[in-house]
Amino acid sequence: MISTNDTRTPINGVRHLLSAAAIGMALMVGSTAQAATPGITGTGAVQTFNLTAGPGVITQPDGMQIYSWGYGCTTPASATFAPFPGSCPLMQVPAPTLIVTEGKPVTVVLTNSLPKGAGNTSILFSGFQVTGGAGCVAGLRVPEALPGGTCTYTFTPTAPGTHSYYSGTQSDLQVEMGLYGAVVVLPANDSVAQCTNTTLHPGAIPLATLGGFNGANDDYRLAASALDHPASCYDREYLFQWAELDPNIHRQAEVQANFIATCTAPVSSGTPAATNPTNLPCPSSLDVLTEPYHPRYFMINGRSMPDNMDANYAPNYPNQPYNANPHMHPGELTLVRAVGTGRWQHPFHEHGNHVRILARDGFPILAQTNATGAACTGAACPLGGRMEFDTDTTPGQTLDGIFYWSGKGLNWDIFGHTPNVASDVVLSLTESGHTVTAATYTPNAVVSSSGPANYATIQGAPSSAYNGYLGTYPITIIPCAAPYTTGNTCFTYTATTTGLPAFTQSTSVGTFAPAVLVKQPTTVVTDSDQNPTCAPDSNGYYTAASPSPGPATRPTYTGTTMSGGNRNYYEWCADHDHPLEANPVGPVAGGGPATLPDPLVMTNGLWYNGTPYLGPDAVNRSRGPTPLPPGGALQNPPAESGIAFMWHSHNEREITTNDVFPGGMLMMMLVDPYVWYIDENL
Amino acid sequence: MRRSAIYCGSLLALGLLTAAMPAGAQVPYSPSGSFHVQCPGTTLLHPTAIANTGGSVLRDATSEPDYTGPQALAANGNGVPLTYDYNGGTVKCQEISGGDGYMTEADGNQTFMFSFGPLSGLGLIQNGQPGTLFATDFNHPYAVPTMLNGQPNPYCTASTLNPSGQPCTAAPTSTTDPGANGALTDPAAIMDTGVMNGNIPAPLIAVDEDDEFFLNLTNVGMIMRPDLFEQHTVHWHGYPNASSFYDGVPDASLAINIGGTFTYYYLAPDAGTYFWHCHITPPEHLQMGMVGQLFVRPRQNRVPVGSSLYQSAAGCKAVPGIQGGACPAGDTVGSAYMGQQSDLRTACNPSADILCSVPLPQAPSGGVGMVQGAYATADPLGRYQAGDRFKYVYNDGDGSTRYDIDVPIQIHGFDPNFHFVGMTFNAEPFSDMKDKYFLLNGRSYPDTIGVAGYAGLAANTQTNANCDPGSTAAQCAANDGVPQSQATTQNPNPTTNAISTEDSDGYSRPSQPMPTLIKLYNGTTTTIGTPATCGPLGTSRCGQRASLRIADLDVSEYQTLASLGLPMQLIGFNAKLLRDQAGNNLYQTSNSITLGGGESLDVIIDSTGVPAGTYFLYTPNLDHLSNDAENFGGLMAEVVVLN
Repeated sequence: MISTNDTRTPINGVRHLLSAAAIGMALMVGSTAQAATPGITGTGAVQTFNLTAGPGVITQPDGMQIYSWGYGCTTPASATFAPFPGSCPLMQVPAPTLIVTEGKPVTVVLTNSLPKGAGNTSILFSGFQVTGGAGCVAGLRVPEALPGGTCTYTFTPTAPGTHSYYSGTQSDLQVEMGLYGAVVVLPANDSVAQCTNTTLHPGAIPLATLGGFNGANDDYRLAASALDHPASCYDREYLFQWAELDPNIHRQAEVQANFIATCTAPVSSGTPAATNPTNLPCPSSLDVLTEPYHPRYFMINGRSMPDNMDANYAPNYPNQPYNANPHMHPGELTLVRAVGTGRWQHPFHEHGNHVRILARDGFPILAQTNATGAACTGAACPLGGRMEFDTDTTPGQTLDGIFYWSGKGLNWDIFGHTPNVASDVVLSLTESGHTVTAATYTPNAVVSSSGPANYATIQGAPSSAYNGYLGTYPITIIPCAAPYTTGNTCFTYTATTTGLPAFTQSTSVGTFAPAVLVKQPTTVVTDSDQNPTCAPDSNGYYTAASPSPGPATRPTYTGTTMSGGNRNYYEWCADHDHPLEANPVGPVAGGGPATLPDPLVMTNGLWYNGTPYLGPDAVNRSRGPTPLPPGGALQNPPAESGIAFMWHSHNEREITTNDVFPGGMLMMMLVDPYVWYIDENL
Repeated sequence: MRRSAIYCGSLLALGLLTAAMPAGAQVPYSPSGSFHVQCPGTTLLHPTAIANTGGSVLRDATSEPDYTGPQALAANGNGVPLTYDYNGGTVKCQEISGGDGYMTEADGNQTFMFSFGPLSGLGLIQNGQPGTLFATDFNHPYAVPTMLNGQPNPYCTASTLNPSGQPCTAAPTSTTDPGANGALTDPAAIMDTGVMNGNIPAPLIAVDEDDEFFLNLTNVGMIMRPDLFEQHTVHWHGYPNASSFYDGVPDASLAINIGGTFTYYYLAPDAGTYFWHCHITPPEHLQMGMVGQLFVRPRQNRVPVGSSLYQSAAGCKAVPGIQGGACPAGDTVGSAYMGQQSDLRTACNPSADILCSVPLPQAPSGGVGMVQGAYATADPLGRYQAGDRFKYVYNDGDGSTRYDIDVPIQIHGFDPNFHFVGMTFNAEPFSDMKDKYFLLNGRSYPDTIGVAGYAGLAANTQTNANCDPGSTAAQCAANDGVPQSQATTQNPNPTTNAISTEDSDGYSRPSQPMPTLIKLYNGTTTTIGTPATCGPLGTSRCGQRASLRIADLDVSEYQTLASLGLPMQLIGFNAKLLRDQAGNNLYQTSNSITLGGGESLDVIIDSTGVPAGTYFLYTPNLDHLSNDAENFGGLMAEVVVLN
């Protein structure tokens, strides 16, 4: 449903409300887009950025096109990008992410192209010692650029990590209008060299592939570590900037800016011009009411869900280049860079695991002693930051944190592994007690699988068609004949089978129900993923640090195809082969604790791969002959078969777009199997 | 079609939601159809059921095997030889309904909710206690003669004895009787009980580390909203390394249609204070009331009396790369001291795992430190018994999180306009959401302390301070001067302290079972059985310590809770002990804590040295000290310190 309570009138011929039908037809670029921390790098020994503050339009999933202000690149054609090529328009929300290196000087030349009447503007680089230079005029907090003018800021970043920048001029309006962005400071120390702890980090993307900012193989990092601290090493990184938006403020700004731009001076007689029908003196500056504040859009990286899960630099969001669409493989250390913007705090809930807070505003949070209680300094100190499942974002504040997902401790094998079994069932029945009182009964200690004619007959033995699958198949045991029909329990059979649990069936004559027997395959299933090796390393995972029969090899990719390595890399070995389901499905053994629900009373989610398991081979195994999910999960296609987790604001009203759920500050994080190449370039 | 249109929710594209899976040739799923409640007595990891020998379903860690370190457990999984690492625990189960109901605000307003209600542990839930049961108790037949909608219990007719051995014309004599708590598994019994039986907070869940937990959710539909066919789910908020399948996000897993049961399966994770909620259209279903509390108790509670807490945590089994102190004399692999560092699942080695939960504390002098103890005498209010072991919030290894009394506190807010709209047929205004009722455990002051509000029933004349959760009916009746037969007609019920609300079918059901009235003995004159190191009466004493397990489920605002005159020691945050990776505790003492929606923390209030009197927990967000139009009430509760 599209809300109709926003009665905005089209201001000019360009922008208009989209109809619901048009929204339904909106493009979706790259159904499996992924993310990284894209941005621009400075040019030259002094890292120089030329930014422009100017007006433009951003779009929201309900079809609204919202007049906004943003920082963009003064000369888009000359921008340089990391970790992969992109675009940097004249105006964008959020601003270009500035990627700089600790200790190297930075120069930012800001051009004020805000509309007439908007007054000065500026950049406040939170936490940096900034000097204003050419063209700047004094502002209250920071040097400012006059309308149409420029202001040059210089500073040398000293604290690695994620920082924020935003307008320091009339911030209640200018930040709301979109003048905010992030600075990523890469550590000066050789971040590769300090990331050699394979115990802490056995899942590392091979360090040799780091460094081109170009997504070599599957590496999309800007650096190997977030901070000058060996515990801050990571494999993937995602930047999330959280901001809410009140469309009434933007509407006022647009109307006023348009009027000021076109207003003609009053005339003393005659008919006022259409551009000034009131015939009053033209206003010289905007007078936008920023209270009461009533945001209706809740954005991550300038986009609301689901737009934020489309690709970086997607052409349908020309002024909103950055997405929020994290993916990761099991065990990969994922750096979460979060920036609070706007006015409100947002509790950022990461489903799936906790986040270890490394730093706030680029300041590492460290213990005061080492593990033996001795004083320590700097990188010698263990981490002291909290582990949180809700990482609060506060306006102007940033955090760097590490997240990973490994599936440890579920008590079931999320890869659906099952040992191969080579032999067929050998069934024999032992009659072990009866309460038949009829005198003519003659005990028969052992019956064969064919059964003595006068006591029991087994029918419906499993067909060879089921070879290769464990399953539940009906057999029928015809119990003793008429002489023993006294109404008492006739027999208790205990089936002894090769490698199978005891099978007990007792009954009274005439009410014998079909029995159930587990049939094992007569041939070894050739799916090499059904029961791979899992040798625990010192953390319990199957990794490059695993002892014999390890080590495992982290998968490598040729293009986007896995070309080597172990698909179950980073498996939690203690749960290896442990069944989840009580009943076997396909070649996946039963015996586990849970019976899955009747699918007829369930609804499938869009990211649900159709099974509890991770990876296409596990999905294929565990769903047996049943085609699941119906039609495929568009956002999690069968070849991916990841497992999805929602990352969102837990002030839940903020996961809406202009009163419509779902929307707003919401994204899906996918844990993908290693067989799935995570192409963050999309 | 854009992705947004395919979400679950009341507002969008409903016709696209019911893409059910076709049944295959094999039947891997529940053969018994839609209402299929699961609670296996034994599993591969827990092959031995623990019988109920005491008659009460209130079984704490002392009912479970001692924790003496991990043991390798051989199992046969359908013919496949498997090995499990066994750390104790047992199978526990709970059953809940997802539907609707009404609650009573402190100003008397009856408010419609989307809500969860109990379908097992009904006796415990009405007492404000966790409804989580051992498998043997869960599978015990429910023996209360009349269902909540007035229908007779089909398994308990007048001519039979109920499974508790009592005539079925009478209810079980105690709310802790298995017959008052067994799960309702029959479809008729589920509907007779679950419909309109919404609670706020949703049923309380408490498990112990290493338990296998089966949580059955049955969607009984919403009687007041026949136009909706809302699914429901359970999201265990904060479960580390969760599976997507059991995470409860409908977009990433399955959602339960009306008439269906889904059994969530968990291995109880790291100890801590979590919470749970429905994840369907969260801004709607959370605001409407589908929020509950959940905590996991540490295995340190199960350490034998006399064992060193540090050694239980540190362990001595040689595991490469695992941090651990030197083995004390006589402590060898397999001894009672062998601890959590011996099992990679329960170990924490910060140098190898950036997300390990509880680093070992710095080694105590002598290597022993605090040892596990037990109460010498029972709590005067019956909240623990002589011989019960001491309890801890976390596997701290140093005893610093020891407490006497569990106090789950849920912070929430209701927007009456949103709830009214939610009872009708209009689209809810999410961005206009403005809470007017501010709730601690589903009640505003003064209802938070169990005083009768405007519930529409007889005024409660009870003045007895002993009517806490956990105190017996006799204790209540003996002191408040009201015969128990009359007391049961009062609201809140002085036996269980539950507030009931009359629903649209004319039946009154317990809707808000949990007061927030904390009573602590400071040990000045009353024997409370605290550690021997606390000294005898008349000397330097330890007072009782309350573990406040605070979670905020508000969907629109941050909330602050302050204590007037009592220090609050913050020991845990987001279900993790506050300890750096060097092993230093990072506890903070203050007079206030602040939480956003979806956050939890642990606070200990220590009554040691605190003069007897009444203290307040209240919000300094002063506009939240109101009950809609009443400029009084809101987010406030009391702590009563007794000599």
